[in-house]
Amino acid sequence: MSDWEPKIVSFLCTWCSYGAADLAGVSRMEYPANIRVVRIPCTGRMSPKFALAALREGADGVWVSG
Amino acid sequence: MITFNLNGKKVQGEEGQYILQVAEKYGVNIPTLCHHKALDPAAMCRICTVELFDGRRRRYVTACNYPIWEGMEVFTDTETVHQGRKLIVELLLARCPEVPVIKELADQYGIEEPRFMKEEDDCILCGLCTRMCEKMGNNAISLTGRGVDMKVTTPFEVQSDMCMACGACASVCPTGHISLAKIRESMTTRDTKLIASEYDMGLQGRKPVYVPYAQAVPNTPAIDRDVCIHFKTDGCKVCTAFCGVDAIDHSMQDETIELNVGSIILTPGFQPFDPSSFDNYNYAQHPNVITAMEFERILSASGPTEGHLVRMSDHKEPKKIAWFQCVGSRDMNKCDHSYCSSVCCMYAIKEAVIAKEHAEYDLDCTIFYMDMRTHGKDFERFYNSARDEHGVRFLRSRVHTIDPVPGTEDLEVRYVTEQGDAETETFDMIVLSVGLETSPETIELAGKLGIELTEGNFVKTSSFTPVATSREGIFVSGAFQGPRDIPQAVVDSSAAAASVGEMLSPARNTQTKEKEVVPEINVVGDRPRIGVFVCRCGINIAGVVNVPDVRDYAAALPYVEYVNDNLYSCSQDTQESMADIIKSKNLNRVVVAACTPKTHEPLFQETLINAGLNKYLFEMANIRNQDSWVHKNNPDLATDKAKDLVRMAVSKVALMQPLEEAELNVNQTAMVIGGGISGMTAARSLSGQGYETHLVERDAMLGGQALNLFKTAKGEDVQKALAVLTDDIQQNDKIHVHLNTTLTGVEGFVGNFKTTLSSNGDDQTVEHGIAVIATGAAGLQPDEYNYGKDERILTSLELDRRFMDKDPSLKEMDSAVFIQCVGSRQPDRPYCSRVCCTHSIDNALELKKMNPDMNIYVLYRDIRTYGEREYLYKKAREAGVIFMQYSVEQKPMVELKKGKIIVRTVDHVLGRPVEIEADLVTLASAIVPNREEQLAQFFKVSLNEDGLFVEKHAKLGPSEFATDGVFLCGLAHYPKPIEESIAQGQAAASRAVTLLAQETVHTSGTVAKTNPGICSSCGVCVSVCPYSAPSFTEGGPFAGKAEINSVLCKGCGLCVSSCRSGAIHLQGFDNDQIFSQIFALNEAV
Amino acid sequence: MLAYIDKIKEISGKLLKDGKVDMVIGFRKGSMPMMNEPCFVREAADVQNLVWDSNCGINLANYLAGRKEKIGIIAKGCDTRNIVTHIVENKIKRDQLTIIGVPCKGMIDRRKVSERFEKEIIEAEEKNGSVIVKSADAEDTLKKEDLLQDNCSICIHRNPVIYDELAADLVEEQKDVDRYADVRKIEAMSAGEKWRYFEDLLAPCIRCYACRNACPLCYCPTCFVDESQPQWVGKTLDPVDSRTFHFLRAYHCAGRCTDCGSCVRACPMGIDVRAFTKKLEKDALDLFGWEAGMSVEERPPLDTFKPDDPEAFIK
Repeated sequence: MSDWEPKIVSFLCTWCSYGAADLAGVSRMEYPANIRVVRIPCTGRMSPKFALAALREGADGVWVSG
Repeated sequence: MITFNLNGKKVQGEEGQYILQVAEKYGVNIPTLCHHKALDPAAMCRICTVELFDGRRRRYVTACNYPIWEGMEVFTDTETVHQGRKLIVELLLARCPEVPVIKELADQYGIEEPRFMKEEDDCILCGLCTRMCEKMGNNAISLTGRGVDMKVTTPFEVQSDMCMACGACASVCPTGHISLAKIRESMTTRDTKLIASEYDMGLQGRKPVYVPYAQAVPNTPAIDRDVCIHFKTDGCKVCTAFCGVDAIDHSMQDETIELNVGSIILTPGFQPFDPSSFDNYNYAQHPNVITAMEFERILSASGPTEGHLVRMSDHKEPKKIAWFQCVGSRDMNKCDHSYCSSVCCMYAIKEAVIAKEHAEYDLDCTIFYMDMRTHGKDFERFYNSARDEHGVRFLRSRVHTIDPVPGTEDLEVRYVTEQGDAETETFDMIVLSVGLETSPETIELAGKLGIELTEGNFVKTSSFTPVATSREGIFVSGAFQGPRDIPQAVVDSSAAAASVGEMLSPARNTQTKEKEVVPEINVVGDRPRIGVFVCRCGINIAGVVNVPDVRDYAAALPYVEYVNDNLYSCSQDTQESMADIIKSKNLNRVVVAACTPKTHEPLFQETLINAGLNKYLFEMANIRNQDSWVHKNNPDLATDKAKDLVRMAVSKVALMQPLEEAELNVNQTAMVIGGGISGMTAARSLSGQGYETHLVERDAMLGGQALNLFKTAKGEDVQKALAVLTDDIQQNDKIHVHLNTTLTGVEGFVGNFKTTLSSNGDDQTVEHGIAVIATGAAGLQPDEYNYGKDERILTSLELDRRFMDKDPSLKEMDSAVFIQCVGSRQPDRPYCSRVCCTHSIDNALELKKMNPDMNIYVLYRDIRTYGEREYLYKKAREAGVIFMQYSVEQKPMVELKKGKIIVRTVDHVLGRPVEIEADLVTLASAIVPNREEQLAQFFKVSLNEDGLFVEKHAKLGPSEFATDGVFLCGLAHYPKPIEESIAQGQAAASRAVTLLAQETVHTSGTVAKTNPGICSSCGVCVSVCPYSAPSFTEGGPFAGKAEINSVLCKGCGLCVSSCRSGAIHLQGFDNDQIFSQIFALNEAV
Repeated sequence: MLAYIDKIKEISGKLLKDGKVDMVIGFRKGSMPMMNEPCFVREAADVQNLVWDSNCGINLANYLAGRKEKIGIIAKGCDTRNIVTHIVENKIKRDQLTIIGVPCKGMIDRRKVSERFEKEIIEAEEKNGSVIVKSADAEDTLKKEDLLQDNCSICIHRNPVIYDELAADLVEEQKDVDRYADVRKIEAMSAGEKWRYFEDLLAPCIRCYACRNACPLCYCPTCFVDESQPQWVGKTLDPVDSRTFHFLRAYHCAGRCTDCGSCVRACPMGIDVRAFTKKLEKDALDLFGWEAGMSVEERPPLDTFKPDDPEAFIK
């Protein structure tokens, strides 16, 4: 278990969190590379079905931010 | 071009290049410690040694300085090469056993302990520092001595006059032998301060080549000529070696550009007051006394502490913070700024609340203030919640001195409470809420332009032309017009734009050019042919992500017909070649793996359009901002992630369909609802910019609340100006005034409204493209203080009426009392009515002018004469008006006794009851909105709890609604004085014209569409949409099913995910498209 | 109960005779004991078939969606709340309906009866708060309150919330009911315990969709489970698919569920489907102060957006 790395899928609102993730890059912050981002037009677009689909595809965590 | 063999593969390089350079280009890693791109190679460290076969024999050469030649064979990865490198590393480890970079190398080569005698050095004599110093044009240091005595030092080992303390040597030292800290310690003859970062308020340093802040537009680095070494020595130019596109030109000169313009808008802003001169506050001496601007940076995630709340002296988390208000404001003794800076109370409260939220412990926040001025929309509510819910402590006291506590980093403060008790308290940190002031440069600019300034050095304007300067054609907005917060500055800037628009309206669209349109290729039904372009972004991506690897990976993905990698995908030539490739390879879908769609999607979409493709057949994979930049120490993981992101983008783009952006004509007529001063101003501005305008007023005459006002805060006659404006409106043949008229129905949406006007039973339908809501508010009729029981007890507006009627009895009175906050700032009406303090003080002064001996008392809670209105407050005190504070728990009492009016209150200083016999009691009664619920429904806009209209954005969109095509101004937005109502009237017109002037509106392609066949008519979409885009179809086979107006749809997808039947699709972010990304996740490497 | 049915028949007969409604939706005796079945009465003479007792648990609102006729409907407290939801969600118009409200004291869970007997139940008769039950080999008199459906025993809206006629005097509402003890128990579990709990809960599911079909909220022309473009949920009995189905159906009922118990009643495998819907019902109450189906004026909280909506769940 020690080298187990979680796979995290994040659904980010294009207007805020996605922009913030861009800004983290611009500011050269570092974070683990376990995240895959799906850009959505608003967290209003987020459907529980997406979260379930991601978990089903093997994601260990789903992060919705917006 | 020279061709040779590298590790068995054919590679090419330019004549004069070294092996290392070519290897780097091909992604072959050769270790080196002494190589630097901008410096001549020196082969000092020898780790870059590679094996060379020259056709006859094998030898070992240093890759960094061995020039390439045709046909040579180079091997970087053989056993002997490794053996050689291992020995070198072992020797270095013996010399520098504690240097991290060497230890890391040793680890890589499996060396635990060197076999040689260990020394305690930390210099590997790579010579980077000396070469860099030479490059700087200085030669202050060099390698001296020979053999074992060799070292880096200055000539004769004395402090060099040549050395400029630029720190370039430290910046290249791989081992830490030279560091900025060491330079700073040893340097005595020169200033070794960091270059203070302006953005971080000097709390940390920045480089001479810098981007001012992460969100700067344009986001292009600048070279600070004042500190750049090149401009001192003519040397350096290191930056040019790193710029992949040769964009740096040190020879550029300042240019004078002459522009022929019809008008000028001044928005130079303000500078925060510098409290260094307040020696009693110890700001300049003590690191824990900071300004509010510095505190903003400490709270910011992009600031020097990355948002961790610590104090600067010892980086400890503070337990107690105090804010001192009015530093550099309302103060004649120390700073000559007798005005109020308007914004500091609110920002201090905000900082205190955010600080408490940031701290994961119980942080004690105290604000020392004179009057709490939260006069903006929803500000009072925020103040209340800061005090009652967040537990911020508010202390009405002006503190004189901050004393450092000896032996600690803490600060001691002595102050006097409202009850008159002297207290001493210690704080960890003190934030000075510094005011706003006009900079000397701006004052100079004003002088050059010949515009008049006020005594506070703000632009002198009239209340009736609030953004016009004293010189025709020059306008002003923002803090140069007077201290103000963001919403007011935004209103004023729109107003300035409208003023210019009115002036220059005939020139509109005289300088536009028609764009060439490339016909769109129909790709519907075609098998996807995807082109993937992977961007290197110089070294920004390629320096971390293995771009060739990602490119080759993409080539194997389904439907991918073409892949390539570009140095800079966004450059002009790449754009052109991309369009050519799309055409020549018949691509019908494009993926660009590069930076972020937020900045670059429109650019690449333009390229698609130029290649004849619909712009929605495009997707970006964000492999820079969200990959290479954030995983720079994990190149392998970053490459894996890039592949995943590309795969996700490819699977999504395969499902993208061409989308249409429908075009819709905008009716060029405007409607303004409300004929008060802001509505009239909006109508006048709209007509002045060339638009037919209907002005609807429910009363029998124009003028609204302004009809009741005597004078403005600047002393101007309201009725005179109002008459001019009303006359203007009535004379204007573009404005159709509808008096005694109300709205009984509104159909349609942005660009195409159809409104039914009803006047005395007659209905009329008017078509218009936009609407401005200016329905105003009214003065509260108080139900307390015996109002209505005696004609000597009246409201501020009624007192104005008496002034206007030149009531002779006013002069005869001996004493007058003003009671503030009547109906405002109390639980049932929690907002501040903004104008009443100034109004009462104005009227008090008017009474004093009539009869200087009159005793005048103002009973108040906080005096809110914001901005330069503060002068009136000062003037009133000087004129002998007595100000007595009361608290909402202990309101004054007004009693009628035997024909006398007795006002009772408690003196806040003495704590004793006071009784005043008054001849006149003026109640500063609240401004109450009309709660236009039906109008709100008609235009699909909303009202807040107070009955005020809710604007699009509290800060950035104060004069418009979230619903397109509907705008807002005047008291219907929030209580405000005349000049602000007029400015907002112009602002609403300005915002409206931005829409009208386009003549057509384009819908976005990324909008929702319903499938009526599976719609269940449940109405969730209709209810949930904030923009009123969905509605039920009327008539036809799908009657009762939902449909979506693509003009109103903002593409947020709220309806899509709320739709249980799955009947709504969001084009461009449809279910199958998002699912395809999610399903593509599973193949993660 | 007898008084109830006489009144129901009287009102229904009159409505049909006067032509005020085209039909009355009510219950008639089923072919098995304790299994009254819904019926549509179109002729005044047929009102004699109507019955009313504690075996009328089926939610008749389920039969309203999309109907065009004028309808008289016999409705318990929960039925009326679903009628309200139907009106709000455009499933039926208020003016199409004549609601014959029936104050209710709870419906019997036939499983609680049958589990007390070894053999099949042949007859069950209700009398003064007791039920006399006969099986092939035994007879017993049981107390009705011990046999109530779980949702009925914690019901706090037994009286119709909307009605045009009343079949009886209003009953006293239950007070001081702890409605969410079971939800709190699950909430208190650790992640692992929850996982096991739900795994066990759903293990018997055969994906027959009886819960969905019995639920008045599930009226979509095409249910998401039946869609293949996109394929929201797999069609198999794989536990992942079953879970996905139940989770999503529960979300679709969030803020709309009246806890009428139809789903549990319909489940042939005896799964407590309410374990999902109740959590969301509790959240709607905690977060938005909302109870579904109480007013035709307001839409459920998840259908609306207000700037001051609670957002404590955002971390």
